Amino acid sequence: MKRIAAIVGRDIRSGIRDWLIVYLSIAPFIIALILRSLIPGVGDSLLSVVVLDQNPLVSSLEQVARVELVSDLESLEQRVLRMDDVFGIVYTRGAYELVVQGNESEHSLGMLETLMARLTNPSSSVPVDIQFSDLGWEMSPLKLYGGIMLMLFTTVFGGMFIVLNLVDEKMHKTLRALNVSPLSRVELVIGKGMLGFLLPLVGCLGAAWIMGFSGIHLGMFFVTLLSIATISIIIGFSIGVMNDEPISAVASMKMVMLPVLLSVFGAMYLADNWHWVLFWSPFYWAYLSMNGILLQQADWFLVLRNSGFILGLTVLVFMGLRKKIVNGLE
Amino acid sequence: MIEKESSRGTEKKGENMISVENLSHYYTQNQVFAVKNVSFQVEKGEIFGFLGPSGAGKSTTQGVLTGLLPLQQGRVRVAGHDLSHPKRTMFNKIGVSFEQSNVYGKLTARENLDFYAKLFDVPTMKTMDLLEMVGLDKVADKKAGTFSKGMKHRLTFVRSMINKPEMWFLDEPTTGLDPAIGSQIKDIIRQENEKGATVFLTTHNMQVADELCDRVAFIIDGEIKLIDSPRNLKLQFGQQMVVVDHLVQGQRKTEQFSLIMDEDKTRLNQLIQTGQIQMMHTKEATLEEIFIKVTGRGLE
Repeated sequence: MKRIAAIVGRDIRSGIRDWLIVYLSIAPFIIALILRSLIPGVGDSLLSVVVLDQNPLVSSLEQVARVELVSDLESLEQRVLRMDDVFGIVYTRGAYELVVQGNESEHSLGMLETLMARLTNPSSSVPVDIQFSDLGWEMSPLKLYGGIMLMLFTTVFGGMFIVLNLVDEKMHKTLRALNVSPLSRVELVIGKGMLGFLLPLVGCLGAAWIMGFSGIHLGMFFVTLLSIATISIIIGFSIGVMNDEPISAVASMKMVMLPVLLSVFGAMYLADNWHWVLFWSPFYWAYLSMNGILLQQADWFLVLRNSGFILGLTVLVFMGLRKKIVNGLE
Repeated sequence: MIEKESSRGTEKKGENMISVENLSHYYTQNQVFAVKNVSFQVEKGEIFGFLGPSGAGKSTTQGVLTGLLPLQQGRVRVAGHDLSHPKRTMFNKIGVSFEQSNVYGKLTARENLDFYAKLFDVPTMKTMDLLEMVGLDKVADKKAGTFSKGMKHRLTFVRSMINKPEMWFLDEPTTGLDPAIGSQIKDIIRQENEKGATVFLTTHNMQVADELCDRVAFIIDGEIKLIDSPRNLKLQFGQQMVVVDHLVQGQRKTEQFSLIMDEDKTRLNQLIQTGQIQMMHTKEATLEEIFIKVTGRGLE
């Protein structure tokens, strides 16, 4: 345990002096923040309006839309100009006018115009019956797929920690010094893999929190992250021991992104009866689990079955690369 | 040197720190041997030199002895451990200094040693004491990546002492160092040896081997050609002659005298008593000359 802690401590010390590793550590949080800013109000009402706080229609509007109140016209205009779709409603010259940015969806604008006509003219003969439909989407696709991709890439980046640390050891030939110390091979692997395991867990939890996936089942989330992390660790070790300098290692790591992207986009766009072409990829099973967990539709059977597939495929990959990994650590 | 050998003789008691029997090692599947049927013993408290040119099999042998290479054929025991069933705990007794320095460039000298010390189960030496030994105490908190080649080499060297090894493997410990630092390193090796460390010194520097080693082995093409003490080798292979430079009527004259023939011995005595001798030296063979004589090959 003392030796594992020493390895982890060395890797942390070395890592914080290497900006690339620092960037990798904070990348999930930054990406999560960016995604969060692109999807404000997801999960809330689909129609958002901003009005001056003395507007008499506030209570009526609140029944069908998310209403923000501002004190003056300038604040209202500034709010409308922000990135998300929020319509301003002002009362001028005896009538209500809509303040728009110009890039809002036509359907939302049309719906709001109809709604305003009904609210301002109760005797109107136009029947208004507002219904919001998600057409099968349980949440914003950007939030869901952005979240899944972020989680998968964050765990794959865990492998990158291992790659960079091992390449550093190989570059300076320090593995030879470790190999003539009482440090066992198992301790070396655990020590070297620890950061690649823990940092993605922290990164994924933080990203989930930032993106507002607060209601997810943490147990299932952990089990899925742990199973994805195992494949990332195997990939990290195999690439790390086969490369003596960081550029070639990062180039090899980029190739790993390909099956991740293939698995996610394949699962998204392929018809169900074609999903069998993705069964070879642990990232496909990871996608299925993550999709269910983020939508809060997963059950333990689904999570454990998919994790079993991920671990089984990981074992196969490990058996194939075992000799190279063991030789590379000598 | 002679004093050292006689005093060491009382310490050895015949206990072997290294025992190698019929060691062979190959790198390729076609069994072209890098080391062929090598056998030797290193006694406790001895400084044993393993000498040979590049590619002779020195590093392969040391690789097997330090567990960096697997034992393929033969029997090897190091510090009481059978290497056919190696245990990591044996490294608590072993220190290995590499020819190519291998330290963490992003860590300071102190951090490098502190980290390495944590890997051992035995009491370790104080980091600053080690750094002071090789003149790196002033740069203890500088990153090793900023060090010169010689400084990195010194850091690699002292790191191998951190667990106070009973069996100390040194690969070219003075290569690339300036003479003053090289001399300092040799002194440290002698001191640690006097404290009881057994030293296995791999080098192609015959002068270092001559100065430090109790016995040397010459290895070439993976085979040991000869093992003996430098003194015995010099006696065996050197010429028992004395070369004298002296003045005869103001002119310098060089003459050789046999230390065996009576006529030469008498003439040499006369010259010492009556002649004007400028220089006189024995015609002692160097280890390098002996190596070439025995193996028919140079060291580079």
